[in-house]
Amino acid sequence: MRVELRNVLKEWGDFRLEIDGLIVEDGEFLTLLGPSGCGKTTTLRIIAGFERPDRGEILFDGRPVNDLPPYERNIGIVFQDYALFPHMTVFKNVAFGLEMKGLPRGEIEKKVRWALEIVGLTGLENRYPEQLSGGQQQRVALARALVVEPKVLLLDEPLSNLDAKIRERLRGEIKRIQRTLGITMIYVTHDQEEAMAISDRIAVMNFGKVEQVGEPLELYYSPRTEFVARFLGLSNILKLEAENGRACLGELCFDVGRDGTVRVFFRPESVYITPGNTAEMIDYELLPGRIRIKLEIDGKSLIAERFLNELPFSVEEMPERVGVVVRDFSIL
Amino acid sequence: MRLRTGFILVPLAFLLVFFYVPLVSIIKTGLWENGFTLKYISAVLQNDYHRHVILFTVEQAIASTLLTLAFGLPGAYIFAKYDFLGKRLTRAILTVPFVMPGIMVALGYILLFGRDGIITGLFGHDLGILYSWKGILLAHAFYNFPIVIRMVSSLWQRVNPHYEEAAMALGARGWRLFWRVTLPMISPAIFASAMLTFVFCFLSFSIPLIIGGYQYATIEVDIFTSIMTLLDFKTGSALAIIQITLSVVFMYLYLRSLDAYARREEQKVLRKPVPFTRRDWLSLKGLAIALYSFLVFVFIVSPLLAVLYDSLRFNGHWSLEWYRRVFSAEYNPMFGATTLDAIRNSLAFGFTTVVLSLLVALPIAYALHRWNFTGKRLFDVMVMLPLASSPITLGLGYVRVFHATPLYYTFWIVAVAHTIIAYPFVLRAVSTSLKKIRPNLFEAALSLGAREWKAFLKVELPLALGGVIVGAIFAFAISIAELGATYMLAKPEYTTMTVAIYKFLGARQFGSASALSVLLMVVSMAGFLAIEGVGEEVW
Ligand SMILES: Nc1ncnc2c1ncn2[C@@H]1O[C@H](COP(=O)(O)OP(=O)(O)O)[C@@H](O)[C@H]1O
Ligand SMILES: [Mg+2]
Repeated sequence: MRVELRNVLKEWGDFRLEIDGLIVEDGEFLTLLGPSGCGKTTTLRIIAGFERPDRGEILFDGRPVNDLPPYERNIGIVFQDYALFPHMTVFKNVAFGLEMKGLPRGEIEKKVRWALEIVGLTGLENRYPEQLSGGQQQRVALARALVVEPKVLLLDEPLSNLDAKIRERLRGEIKRIQRTLGITMIYVTHDQEEAMAISDRIAVMNFGKVEQVGEPLELYYSPRTEFVARFLGLSNILKLEAENGRACLGELCFDVGRDGTVRVFFRPESVYITPGNTAEMIDYELLPGRIRIKLEIDGKSLIAERFLNELPFSVEEMPERVGVVVRDFSIL
Repeated sequence: MRLRTGFILVPLAFLLVFFYVPLVSIIKTGLWENGFTLKYISAVLQNDYHRHVILFTVEQAIASTLLTLAFGLPGAYIFAKYDFLGKRLTRAILTVPFVMPGIMVALGYILLFGRDGIITGLFGHDLGILYSWKGILLAHAFYNFPIVIRMVSSLWQRVNPHYEEAAMALGARGWRLFWRVTLPMISPAIFASAMLTFVFCFLSFSIPLIIGGYQYATIEVDIFTSIMTLLDFKTGSALAIIQITLSVVFMYLYLRSLDAYARREEQKVLRKPVPFTRRDWLSLKGLAIALYSFLVFVFIVSPLLAVLYDSLRFNGHWSLEWYRRVFSAEYNPMFGATTLDAIRNSLAFGFTTVVLSLLVALPIAYALHRWNFTGKRLFDVMVMLPLASSPITLGLGYVRVFHATPLYYTFWIVAVAHTIIAYPFVLRAVSTSLKKIRPNLFEAALSLGAREWKAFLKVELPLALGGVIVGAIFAFAISIAELGATYMLAKPEYTTMTVAIYKFLGARQFGSASALSVLLMVVSMAGFLAIEGVGEEVW
């Protein structure tokens, strides 16, 4: 199902959420990414119908659903704290939505089995939530939301209470399930790595606004704002004066195709190190298999990140000055 | 080790002498005559009147609990879900019944529903509430519905809103949502508050004594009349054994349900109640809330106002005559002291009870909080058992055990009885506060070189001060409200306000009873304001 937010406004004191023209295509995996407090949860709750927007429309397949209560929107939702009913077994939790629909007993059992199989929890039907690990609870929450075959599945930081290993495994499974079922998913996270790994498209939010929507690599390499650039990873942003379509920092020049003040953006991995004299080496940091180097040209800092075996010299014999080449850059 | 643990022996010896010895003595009186015998127990169970009393005690406790829930649950819902003008005030008023002596409420009901009562006058005929089970139920609901509101709304507010939202997203709504999801979440609070109400109603004394009459007596009243009027200690003891056995079972259920409640309470999700706007007040919901608040107000305030009104009416006009009589130092042959003596005695017992209760409760609270030892659960039950006994039973035990000792008929025997009745509340209040303190504070104090008891005194006790204060106020309120044990144990010169009021009532001198009740109310109100000021949850 296609979800669209048109001209939506929600105000709480001095917090102001404004979203216009955010579209989630049918079968798409869209992630709302942004720092804590930027309005991701509120956006999700407006789509779910738990909050009423002050103005604007929410459209499901082109039909306004503003006046539909949550229980008539045919959505699934997964919370960060899972919200599994503690007084019900795994089976009862997953069966809950089907019982609300009044399905016959046999069909409920079939569907619950199907859902538990999808999330890989067969055999735990009779456990209570407190008898499950965090990862298992998360899977039950997913099964409970999926089993009613919602038209859109909303997930609010579903993995952030889990430790790193399980988080990575589960995000792969969520992605797989989304692909298999072809379901529309709106996923909220503040973790940019998770967002990049899992999403078809990402909407980066800041202070109640969507700053940019796009595919992960597009956002990563061609951010339109400094906020998006910095939120998605380490960034080099150089404020330079361009003449004749060229902006230079020392011997390092960029063909920017315009004149005046420009902000040139590139990622650390776009910076290549050569033998030479362009930049001064300030400091470096070793990462697994890689090296992060802090450079300075005419008092301006740059960060480069390379695989160790790409360097033209060994770590023990770092020169004081090196040459620098930037392969990909964009203008903010 | 011996020195460090020795201090606990003093309160334990106190409990042993002043609770367990009398208890054993009652059991012996009821079950022993040249060897073990069930003669007296079965005599009671075969007697129609006593059987009727036992049955009625349980029935009225069940009915009172149901009525209390019916009054309390809507209030719990409103308090949990909405924020409205006057909420603080309403919440404060709800504390009032906690500290109002039963005898005063009974008097209020006589003045409202009696033959010449205010409400009887309004309706033009007797509503048949007084001297019937209806009056008892109403008064019991008065006492206990604030407990239901407090406990249930406090848990309801903490129910993670995501549960209901998840259920809604899955298609649940209205009653089904409530029944399947919300109710199971709040049921520990409903159950715990219902059990507490039940125990209170089961052991109720002043209210059935005064507004129930002979036909609607509870076991507690029955024991009282058996001993005080018929001087039949065998029957009294048999009844007391039956009562204790039942109340121990109920108390156990209450404590179990309280555990479940406390576990749920730990959830710290606090949903902000929805603020009410002017438009909301005009909606059906707003009107319902306004109506409910109004009824609560009337329900709580009317017996108090009735007493106040009556105390100011003398021969059909406004006058302070009753107060003048209360404060005249005139010897009253009815209770063998002056009314001023009664006021002084009540205050003296109140303060003594506070001090003694703290001396007993604090070491025990420390031991329960700090030590782990085998048999701790049993210890916990043993020190809380006085909660399941009743003042009349205690009085009976004291009469049996101490009548030949110099302690009998002194000031101290009454103060000690009040302490045994009051200290479990102090212990609970203090323990609850102690549990809320993070254990690493204590550990931090130890790491900085403090001895264990010093860490307790300097770090934990100050943080638990709210509980200590609330416990102390409770001890005071319980002491000045106590009637049964005081009546049995106090010789005339130690007559208290409640005993004097009871005697005034017996002589149908309502004016004097009302004036004295108003003074009692003022003292109780001071306690109420103090509890509000501390702001600590009691239950
Ligand atoms: N029910 C509410 N009442 C008042 N303010 C709220 C409410 N819910 C959220 N907010 C405010 O809206 C802002 C955005 O919150 P939220 O949507 O939860 O952000 P995020 O999920 O991105 O961390 C925050 O400043 C928060 O305090
Ligand atoms: Mg959030």
